[in-house]
Amino acid sequence: MALTASDVTIHFGGVVAVNGMALDVMPGEIVGLIGPNGAGKTTFINCLSGTYRPNTGTALWQGDELIGLSPSALLRKGVARTFQNVASLHDLTVLDIAKLGAGVRRDRRTGGHLLDFFRSDRALEELLMESILAPLELNDVAHKPIQTLSYGRRKAVDLARALAGDPQLLLLDEPVAGLTSHEGMAMAAAVRDVRDRHGCAVIMVEHKMDVVMSTCDRVAVMAAGSKIFEGRPAEVQADPEVRRVYLGEP
Amino acid sequence: MILVLQLAVAGLATGSVYALIAIGVVLIYKCSGVVNFAQGAYAMVGAYVSYVLLSAGLPPILGVIFSMAVLAALGTLTERLVLRPMLKAQLVAVMMVTLGLLIVSRAACLIIWGPDQIAFPKVFPEGSISAAGIFITYNYIAAGILALVLSLGFLAFYQFTPIGLQQRCAADNTRAALAIGIHVSNQVSLAWAMSAALAGLAGTLLATLNGLSLDLAGIGMIAFPVIVVGGLSSLVGALIAGLLLGVLQSFTDGLLTPALEDFLRAHTSIYSVGALQQVVPYALLVAMLLLRPQGLFGRRGTERV
Repeated sequence: MALTASDVTIHFGGVVAVNGMALDVMPGEIVGLIGPNGAGKTTFINCLSGTYRPNTGTALWQGDELIGLSPSALLRKGVARTFQNVASLHDLTVLDIAKLGAGVRRDRRTGGHLLDFFRSDRALEELLMESILAPLELNDVAHKPIQTLSYGRRKAVDLARALAGDPQLLLLDEPVAGLTSHEGMAMAAAVRDVRDRHGCAVIMVEHKMDVVMSTCDRVAVMAAGSKIFEGRPAEVQADPEVRRVYLGEP
Repeated sequence: MILVLQLAVAGLATGSVYALIAIGVVLIYKCSGVVNFAQGAYAMVGAYVSYVLLSAGLPPILGVIFSMAVLAALGTLTERLVLRPMLKAQLVAVMMVTLGLLIVSRAACLIIWGPDQIAFPKVFPEGSISAAGIFITYNYIAAGILALVLSLGFLAFYQFTPIGLQQRCAADNTRAALAIGIHVSNQVSLAWAMSAALAGLAGTLLATLNGLSLDLAGIGMIAFPVIVVGGLSSLVGALIAGLLLGVLQSFTDGLLTPALEDFLRAHTSIYSVGALQQVVPYALLVAMLLLRPQGLFGRRGTERV
């Protein structure tokens, strides 16, 4: 088992945002996380990715406990995430951000910072351009500041940044929200492509059902902080309870 | 004409030392939002540490490198012990603490080394060159070149290396940097270390030029006109403005002051205008704040101190 999260609970004051959430993800599997607004999907991702520290719960990843680790420590364990809203970095170019993504992972594997002084950047840049930026159609803007890009392309940059760290567990928070349908399809294709090439486990929070249905191997439905259903995409669409709380019964 | 050239060279030499100090201030500001008033203290302590190491008989190169290392450690300690506990305090409070650090370290040096000016051990060979009628000592040339090379080297480091990239990212948006897995607090410590080391070197260089005394702490203050002119958030601006101010001071000292004094002596009973070159940076600071508060290279909306 790659990732086993169980009994994850977090409350903010009196509000229980995530309540006894459990989820397993296998390597090479894309698991969709859906549910109505406020169901706790993003909060759950935040618990796994070190942004929040849940009140209870464990998340074992290849035998290591993830909960309580900082984002930088998680990246070194191969756990990367993207964000629903793209953080704004003013001065950095797309390639810079991809390099950052690669750099934060490289820390431990090569013995740390000192070696980086002497390593040529060119090889890394070419590798990133070819293997990360090109599939996301970001090659032509590689040297532009991220500020000048459209929202959709910034999200692609965020994904590129996460992929540059060569993750084995990828947490995606609404990767196609706010994108045009063309951009959304390209993004979904990129996610599947990454899974196929690297065999990484993916958890994807998403609202766009067509993307969820076409991309995910398995779907978990959350409502009010708990998992109410889990199954293959077709089963999810057929389940009356899911239709009632989320998809909307006519 | 020759006088102008000579003044320009001397001005560039001191200007590049100003740049070293100002770059440190900008670096810390970009990374942690704190305007560090203790930069002059690092310069002073750096000079005294170099003095101790060189007097102990260390070769100049080693002595200077060791003193930079000591200052880097001191910078890191300042960040960890003084700044980090104040992480949630208001920035103005943090700045006042750095001002306090300046006063305390000045007092500490006063206790240890006394108030008198100390002759600084020779770091660069004695002598001077005179070419095309310009006369300038090796000391000035070496200090100027060293400061300039280090400033440029540091800018290249910041722009082109992976660590520089992480520094830039942490400076750009701290929260975003944290979220994407950059160890921001380590980067801030690193910024303080580098900044203190650069200031320490600048202090040592100034001591080779003008001798060693507690007044070196005052050099931190010249950093403020420099960064206001260059723009508080621009490292390149700090370098260029540092050079500019150095040259301007040198011209004031060598050209404007004598001309003004001649004029005043001829027409009034005023005999001297005093150290006019010390007024120039601050006059420029005031003018800059009135005309272009973001500085030559700064971005609008940066903080005013």
